[in-house]
This record gives sequence, C-alpha cells and structure tokens, in this order.
Amino acid sequence: MLALHCLGTADGQVVLWAEDSARPDRRPGKAARGAVEHPFAVPGAELAERLGVEGTELTVRALLPSHPSAPLPSPELVRDPLATAAAQRGAVRLRPWLVGGLATTAAVPEPDDVRLGASARYLAALREFAEDLVGRGRVLPAVTSSGHARWRPAPTGADSARLARLREAMPPALRAQQVGGDGLPAGTVLSSVLDTLVDTIARQRIGDLDLAPGGLVGDQAAAVTHALLSGLSGDPTMGTPALPTERLASALTTWRASAAHDGPVRACFRLHSPDGDETWAVEFLLQAADDPSVLVPASEVWNGGPNVLRRWVAQPADLLLAELGRAGRIIPEIDDALHDTHPTGLALDTAGAHAFLTRAGELDQAGFGVLLPSWWQTAAAEVGLKLTTTSPGTPGVVSGKSGMGRDELVQYRWDMAVGESTLTAAELKALADAKVPLVRVRGRWVHLDQRRLAAGLEFIRRSAEGSTSAGNIMALAALPPDDPLLPAPVVGIDGDGWLADLLNGRMEARLEPVKAPAGFGADLRPYQERGLAWMAFLDRLGMGACLADDMGLGKTVQLLALEALARADAERPPTLLVCPMSLVGNWQREAAKFAPDLRVHVHHGSSRGRLDEVDADLVITTYNLLARDSARFAEREWDRVVLDEAQNIKNSASRQSRAARSIPARHRIALTGTPVENRLAELWSIMDFANPGLLGSVHRFRARFAVPIERYHDEDAATRLRRVTGPFVLRRVKTDPTIISDLPDKVEMKQLCNLTAEQASLYQAVVDDMLLKVDESEGVQRKGLVLSTITRLKQVCNHPAQYLGDGSRIAGRSGKLARLEETLEEVIADGDKALVFTQFAAFGGMLVPHLAARFDTEVLFLHGGVAKARRDAMVERFQSGDGPSIFLLSLKAGGTGLTLTAANHVIHLDRWWNPAVEDQATDRAFRIGQRRDVQVRKLMCIGTLEEKIDAMIERKKALARLAVGTGEDWLTELSTEELREVVSLSAEVVIE
Amino acid sequence: MSEDEWWRDAPTRTIKVENGLRARSTRGDIARTWWSRRFIEVLEELGLGGRLERGKRYARQGQVVSMSLSPSIVVATVQGSRPAPYRVKIGVKAFTADQWAQVEQALAGRALYLAKLLAGEMPTGIEEVFEGIGLRLFPNSFAEFSMECSCPDWEVPCKHLAATCYLLAESFDTDPFEILAWRGRSRQDLLDSLRARRGGPAVAPEPGPDPLPDDPAAFWAAGSVPPAPAPPAPGAPGAVLDRLDPLPVLLRGRPLTEYLRPAYRAFAEEA
Repeated sequence: MLALHCLGTADGQVVLWAEDSARPDRRPGKAARGAVEHPFAVPGAELAERLGVEGTELTVRALLPSHPSAPLPSPELVRDPLATAAAQRGAVRLRPWLVGGLATTAAVPEPDDVRLGASARYLAALREFAEDLVGRGRVLPAVTSSGHARWRPAPTGADSARLARLREAMPPALRAQQVGGDGLPAGTVLSSVLDTLVDTIARQRIGDLDLAPGGLVGDQAAAVTHALLSGLSGDPTMGTPALPTERLASALTTWRASAAHDGPVRACFRLHSPDGDETWAVEFLLQAADDPSVLVPASEVWNGGPNVLRRWVAQPADLLLAELGRAGRIIPEIDDALHDTHPTGLALDTAGAHAFLTRAGELDQAGFGVLLPSWWQTAAAEVGLKLTTTSPGTPGVVSGKSGMGRDELVQYRWDMAVGESTLTAAELKALADAKVPLVRVRGRWVHLDQRRLAAGLEFIRRSAEGSTSAGNIMALAALPPDDPLLPAPVVGIDGDGWLADLLNGRMEARLEPVKAPAGFGADLRPYQERGLAWMAFLDRLGMGACLADDMGLGKTVQLLALEALARADAERPPTLLVCPMSLVGNWQREAAKFAPDLRVHVHHGSSRGRLDEVDADLVITTYNLLARDSARFAEREWDRVVLDEAQNIKNSASRQSRAARSIPARHRIALTGTPVENRLAELWSIMDFANPGLLGSVHRFRARFAVPIERYHDEDAATRLRRVTGPFVLRRVKTDPTIISDLPDKVEMKQLCNLTAEQASLYQAVVDDMLLKVDESEGVQRKGLVLSTITRLKQVCNHPAQYLGDGSRIAGRSGKLARLEETLEEVIADGDKALVFTQFAAFGGMLVPHLAARFDTEVLFLHGGVAKARRDAMVERFQSGDGPSIFLLSLKAGGTGLTLTAANHVIHLDRWWNPAVEDQATDRAFRIGQRRDVQVRKLMCIGTLEEKIDAMIERKKALARLAVGTGEDWLTELSTEELREVVSLSAEVVIE
Repeated sequence: MSEDEWWRDAPTRTIKVENGLRARSTRGDIARTWWSRRFIEVLEELGLGGRLERGKRYARQGQVVSMSLSPSIVVATVQGSRPAPYRVKIGVKAFTADQWAQVEQALAGRALYLAKLLAGEMPTGIEEVFEGIGLRLFPNSFAEFSMECSCPDWEVPCKHLAATCYLLAESFDTDPFEILAWRGRSRQDLLDSLRARRGGPAVAPEPGPDPLPDDPAAFWAAGSVPPAPAPPAPGAPGAVLDRLDPLPVLLRGRPLTEYLRPAYRAFAEEA
C-alpha cells in the first residue's frame, strides 16, 4: 500500500509523494550526514504510473520527524504486522530528506491500495474550495512578476474566514519543504497552493474558449492587453519576445485591491418581522464570516464590545462603520440611519421591508451578512399549488385487478395554498388586492409573487379539477418547482387512495404483504413480504424501483421471490441480472435453492454465446461484461434489468453506467445496501437507471440538489428530493424495531464467491500435482500430502499471493477478497463493526495494509504473536464507541476468551469445518440476549473443495445428525477417487 | 553657460521616465469623484487649455517621478526635458489644532461621516460640517493655493504643476483621507481622535511565526475544518466584475472586463 502525501513548494508547485509499505523502512549502513534519499518514498515516475496521474518528476528537500537512520512512517502507512522490524535508535527530531515526488495539478486520485495522508486530504479540501471559488466566479486576472497571465482567487469575506480556518488546520506535513532552517510558513503555502489550483481549474473550465479578439492588435498597450487575454485562456506566457507588462500588472493589482474589503468579519443585517403592528426593524450587527453564529449587535460594538471579534479584527467599531458606509451604497436607507452617533438599526414599514427583502440578495452578493426571517424564501411562505388526488383503488393486494396502474383514471383537484393550508376564496381576493407583496395570511407573513399568484389563479380557473391518468399525475408531481409546465410550484400533495399514498412514499406500509408463490424454497419474513408487494406494485405500474434494504435483510431472496411470482402464471422474456463478479456464484446457488423453477443462465467466459439464443428466466452477468458486451445486451428484449450492488454504477459517466442505462427493458430494479439517500451522485445514477429522466439531467441535478444539499446542507432541497425519489426507494434498516422483531437472533449466511482466472489455474495446478503423487504414497506420507494439499488449496481460494507467498500485489486477484471488500464497505457505510476470522495468520498480515488503504482506516489484527497487554488494549479500543471498525483475528488467537460485542458482523474468511470452533468464534460478537442484529457470513469459493466439503457436512448432518468428523483429518481417509471428487474444480466457476 | 541658455539651445524633448507615477486613467477626465473634481475644477476654471492638457498627458506618461503629501504641502519631482527633474510644491492652508478639534467634535456626532470616510468616500455633508465652524474644506479659488515649480516656464500653473495636480486628484479618488491630511489631520490622527471621542477600544497584537513541530503526531495531522458556510445566492456570472471599481484598461475602445465575461460564464458551468 501507499500512503499519499502532499507538499506545497516555495515556488508554488503542488507535489504529491508517497510512502510505500513494501519498501525497507531504512537504508542499510550507517546514518548519513546531510540529506539523503528518503528510504521508502516512491520515485516520481513510479508514483505517476501507480496513481495514473500526469506530472513532473522532481525531488524536494523536506523536513520530516526522523530517527538518525530513517524518517518515521506517517500514521497512514500500514506495514504487514508480521514482518518484524528492528527498533530504531536515536532521538526523534526533524531531519531533512530528499523526497521524490510528482508536481501535478491533477485531482488527488485514490486507487484502492492508496491511503491518503492528512496533507493529501487537505489538498483535496483546498481543491474543492478552489472549485467553489471558480464556480462562483470569485477569481480575477493578474499578471505575475515573471510576466505570466494568471487567474487569482478573489475571496469574499466568508471565503477569507474559511481561508483563515484552513490555514489554522493545515497539516505541517504540507509545508515541510526545507527553506533555511525550517519549513515554509503556513500562509505562504496556503496562498500559493490555492493560487495554483484556482488557475488550473479556471483554465480547465475555460477550455478551448479564446478570450482575445481576433484581428490586428495596434499599439503596444493594446498588444499587452491582448496578450493578457490570450494568456488567460491559453499559454500563460504573455507573448514572445516578452512584452512590458508592469503597467498592466499594477493596474490589475490596484483593481483587484478594490475587492479587498472582504474580510473575516462583516456587517450583518437582521430583519425582524413585526408580530403586531407594521413596524419592521433591520438590526445592525457584526458577524464572523465563517461562523455565522458569532453575531455581535452594533450597540455592543460601540461600547467596545466583547472580545470575541478581536480574534479577527483589531478595531471592530471602525470595521462596522466602514461596512455600514459601504452598505449605504446598496440600500440608501442605511445612510439615513447613520445620522445617529451610535446607530443600531433601521425602522421600516411593510413596503420598506419588502424593498429591503428584495435587495437583500445584493447585500449578500456584496459580501454582507443578511439574516432574513425564516419564512422568507421557504416553500411554506410561498403561494403555490396543492394537489389533492382521489383514486378509487384501495391499497391492498397487488396481484389481480385492483384498479392501480399508470393508466387508471384518478380524480384530482388543484388549489392555491400557502404551505399545506389551502386558501379560501376570500383570502385569495385579499392577496390579489394587496399593494405590497408582503402579506400576513393566517398570522404568518407570506411573500407574494403577484405574477405567480395571477398565473396560479388563471390555471385553477381553467382546470381546477377533473380526472386524468395516474401516470400524468405522477409526472406532474415529479416536476421541479420552476418547471414552466406549472404556473407555481407544487407545495403539497395530499388525498386518498393508492396514488396519494405512493406520492407520499407511504406505499410499503399500506400494501397488503404478498406471499412468495408455491414452490418457493423459503418462508419470507413479514418485512420481506411487504418488500415483495412493493416491488410487485411498482412492477405493475412499470415504474422502476430501488430496494436499498440494509445488508443482510435479504434483498436477494426478495428479488428471487418477485421473479418467481412474475413467472408463476405468465410467460415472459428473461430478466437480466447484473452483479459484481464475486457474486455470480452466490446468485446461481441462491436461485437454485429458493426458486428452483427459474431457468438460470450465466453469461460469461470467452465462449459466451449469442444472447438472443438463450432461453432462460434469469440471465446473470457481471458489470465488466455489461460494459464490454453492451451492444449484445441491447439486441434482445428483456422483461427486467436488475442491478445488484447498484452502487457499481455510481459514476454516471462510466461505461458500466451508460451500458446499464442503455439496455431496453420493460422494468428496472436496483438493489443496493448502501444508504443511497446520502450519496447523491450515486442516487442520481441509480434513479436515472431505474426511472430514466425522473431527476432530470445530471447537471440539473447537481445544481438543484447535490450542491445545495451536500455543500450547504439545504433542508428544503433535501425535502424536495425525498418527495421526488421517495415513492421509488425502499430502505429498511436492521435496527428498525419493526424489522428487528421479524429477525431471528442471529442471521447466518454462507456466501459463495467466484475464483479469478488466476486462482483457478493455480488451484488446478495444485490439484494436478497432488493427484500425480497421491497413488505412489501411503501411510503418514499420504496423509501429509493430502493435508498440505488442502491447506494449499485453501490458500489459493483465499488469495494467490497467500499461496505464492511472494509479497505480490493484493488488489483485484481474489474473488473472496472482492466479496470481503464489498461486505466491509457496507459495514462501514452503516457505521457497523466487523470481526474477520482467518485460520492463516499470514493472510491476516497481508490483509492489514491492504484493508487499511482500501478503507482508509485503522485495522486491528490479533494473532498468536500479540502479547496480552496489547491484546487487551486492542479489545478495549474495538469495544469503545469510536474505535476501529474492522478487527482481523486469527482463529486460534481470537477464537476464545474475548468479548467483542461491539461487532455486529462476523465474517469467516476460510473454513475450519468444525462448527464448534466456528461458533465459538462467532460468539465473540454474539451473546444471547445482548444484541439481535448479528450477521454471520461464511465465505466459500464456488466449485472448490470449500463448497464441496461444506455440502458433505451439511448432508451428513441432515441424514444422521452425526457428529461428522470435524476438522480435516477425516479427509485423509478418503479414497483417491473420493478425494479427486472433493478437490477437483467444477466447471463454470471462473467468471472472467 | 547659464541654465536658461542651455535650455534654449537644446531640443525641448521630454526625457522618458522608466518608473514614474502614472495616472491610472488613460482617457477622458482624470478625477472621478465629486471631491476630487471639486479640487480639479478650481484648476480647470482658470481656462488654461493646452497647458492643462499637457499636464494631463504628463501624468499619464508617468513623468511625475515622486510625490509626497504632508500637512499643508505636496512636494513632487517631475521629469521634463532637462536631465534633472523639476521640483514642484503645492501648498494649501492647514487648519489649526483648535479648528480641527471643532471639526472632529462635529464629525464624531454622526456615524455617517466616519462610516463614509472608512468606506473610501467623502461624506456628502462634510462641506457643511466645515462651513458650520467657518471653514472651507475645498478651496474655491486658485488664489487659495500656493504653487511653485523649478522649471523655467514662468506661467503658473505650468504643465508640471498640472501633472502633479492630476495625480493628486487621483490619490484623493482612492483615499479621501488625503484631502484631510493635506489640511493638517493625518488619517491615523483623525481616526484616533474620533475613536476617542466616540469611545473606542485598543489595538490587538500581531500573530507570530509558526515553526514545524517535531512531534510526529502533530506533524502529520490536520486540524478540523468546519463544513462550508451557508449558501451564497447564485449571482450572475461575472458579478465580481461589477462589484469592483472600473478597470481603466481598454482594448479597441471596449473595457477589458467585457472581454473577460465569457470566461466567467464558462466558470459557472460545472465540469
């Protein structure tokens, strides 16, 4: 793994560099005098390749906390805990090292085996800030002292305050370049890195645009100006030979300085709406731009005020005066208030208040704080349309004709409303007559958009009520608030019947649960029957669904039940199921177990045939093949497309994503266990797959929802988004009381993973090798051969690098590891904790650095070599609330005697084939009565001895309730033929 | 050879100045604000025509090598056609400490005056404040100034004086406190005095340097950065250009800022 760091250099370059856990932790020999090469930093060229980033290789002399012999590793670097290292000697202090790195302005990438250090994460935060500045146009042109055209940040007051915070938060590692005896000052590094990022991003957005006009240029002054425009949009060097740019540079500097009144503290204007009479008041305050809750009223400022503002400004009173003087240019009434010696505010009548409210945006734009009453600009204070629908069908049984469908006629009525309350005719007349568009309705102030009111009234006069298809209503309800189809935004949806329930996201609770059809191989739990009813209902409507139940709640079985139900009495084209490679086998086996009537075809391998010739109910394929064969998938008719682990299409521009959306199908379902509602890019991509167009284009979605919600925590936008997506997303969490009561005390799952091609060929080689020797050996020798073969096969199933023991790359070579990563990703996303058992300590040691990088987290590892005191400390940390969430244990060291009840997931990476031992380990997390949400997963590779031995044990248990031979010894008693049967690799186990 | 003889024989070509003070305005009027106009108008009312125009050109070419303002006097050096620059002095009567005390008392009574000054504007009512105590802030006739230039031109004001006046007016544009300083009250003194009269607090200290920590935990760690603050209302692309003072740079008669606007439209479109 790599731990990636960042340095800002004195000349404004942004340098990425990385420590490598695979490199020795020091140089051999005696500690050198003076700066030498960093022993475990990755050379720039190699770094560029591993990160997939372009840049310029360079070496920076950096001060790092070090022993005389080597720098200390950063906390993000995780080495294999089993690889022992001799203790370092000598005091830790800052020493210079020559660190190889990559000067780049590219975004910080994050491949799976790279973990970001605080400085790299900080760089990402700066980059986001720079993106924000450029996106808001808070940048201005400049000419550097070297005569280059450059875009510079032009921060507002709030931005400056944020910069001050960023400066305080800067990790020292970012400014570790040695200049003189010390690193660089934080302020210098912050501004030079931000400058570089802003210039880069501005140029990216300008793209091919040429700002300079064509044609002849004229005199020298014009030539310089022209060169600036060319330089801002193209090559930043302003012409060759160099033109005299000093005059223009200084004119630009003076000009930019006129934006410099934006400081960390600003005046803030707070409008108070009257409760009784009509006197409004604008209060003057000072406000910390980055912490808007720091508000000091003018009266306190004039008195010398509290010290809180002194953190930022020396003379708050002067600042307030200057700010008030400036604000008067925008709102001249403020000048009138300044005739007092110590003005504290401004009194306004309702018309004046309206004028202030409408110009408040200008104040805000000019960098002032503006606090308006909470009702202003909320949907609750706007006059909008309210939709009431009445549909005949009552929510109930989905199957059969029940009057629910897109084409069903439903009654609707439009009303004008404020918030949820419908306006009476008298109120509407009073509103229409209002002279100032600020009116009190039912005790609340309402901002009246008179054009909108008139348009709304006209709309209602023409079509107040009627009946139309449910599909039409659904389309209307999903319209964005500013859509030209409606004269005013929809502020409320209400009514009776299924359609209102659907639009309000209450459908799942209202539907009659649906039982799985006869012959289905499992009893569905009550919540699964509700989930099935919900999917079947949307299926009938032809609306796509996203089932986002927590992991372990049985999305697979619900989907299989839906397929069985749909195909019980009707012939249909096949359903295409797309899942990650590691899950193909699992789907195959689960389908065979629960829905044996479904004909399953796996589309994979180099010999995969034509899809239009496949006669099956369920066609399973992987995301990779989906992208590769997208034309083939598009050629035939599908009844349904299902995406399992749909977060795989979170990047809407990826090939997989585009391929998934391009497949023609009657119906679409996405399954995901991650909390989609918190990951908006993913939500868009998944919803656009399930219900194309529902959320508009990705750009509109970003502007309308993603940016307001993620960047600014805009509750209104979040509510609107929930209203649009709510009907189509069903997410139940395992901690929900109604779900818990349906769950058994402990959920145990066997999960089948596919081998990679590399694993399969290694596996085959081990098997061939054994079969060659087994007949010639006997007695102890034969027994040893069998046992060692089994161990080697289990190693291959775990990971090729474990079997080979060569310290080779970890990522992307094992189906089992892929499954583990997918599972842990959901565990971490849910804020859960997991115990991961393996019987191979060496495998655990390999996994520690990999998982630490993959999940950017600390990974605990308990093995036989850990002393008691450290073991106790690990247990205590894991049990504490904010401790690490992944605990790897070797089965021998961690199987007994520990209490690890903070975990609610137990994963057995490999099998001991001794239920007693496995259960004992499981019981670390599970104590009867302590918690009810423990999920146990036993990972096995499909078609290998792991699956076959498990099947044999299950069979024997079922037949004779025998205590079957536990462990592996009994395997040595098998005949060669039986042995061949157990270890041989079944066909169809490799997917890619 | 006397200075005059040398001057008469030599070609009267202006010597270019490399790093002179240049007027920021490149065409039209130089003084933009009402208070600097008030100063320049006195000069322009003299009807000097050509000499003023030449002075303006001098100011734009950067012929004024240096200029400094102190109570009651502005001293400048202006490069003409001779090797040594001419010395220019422009005097005005400073108010007495007693007069200033009265002015300050009046200014302190209304927040508006200081507010506008600190915001970079001369408050519109300020002339009345001075008139209230029998003073005139802006001289209303040329006679109230004393002007001297070391050039051989016997006309006053000569183009060197005119150039200095234009630059002075421009400095008034950007900082109205300069006019008050010329009249005998520096910005700092005025602010201190007004602060005292209005009841104000003392000054905070400067932050020190920040050496790299050698403690590994501190070295590698970042402090916490709070989430981004509340949403700014989305403005029109390029709104920042409208908030700034006008940029006196043109290309083919159009302001430079107009050529920049397409870039701001591109910025607003997220990648």
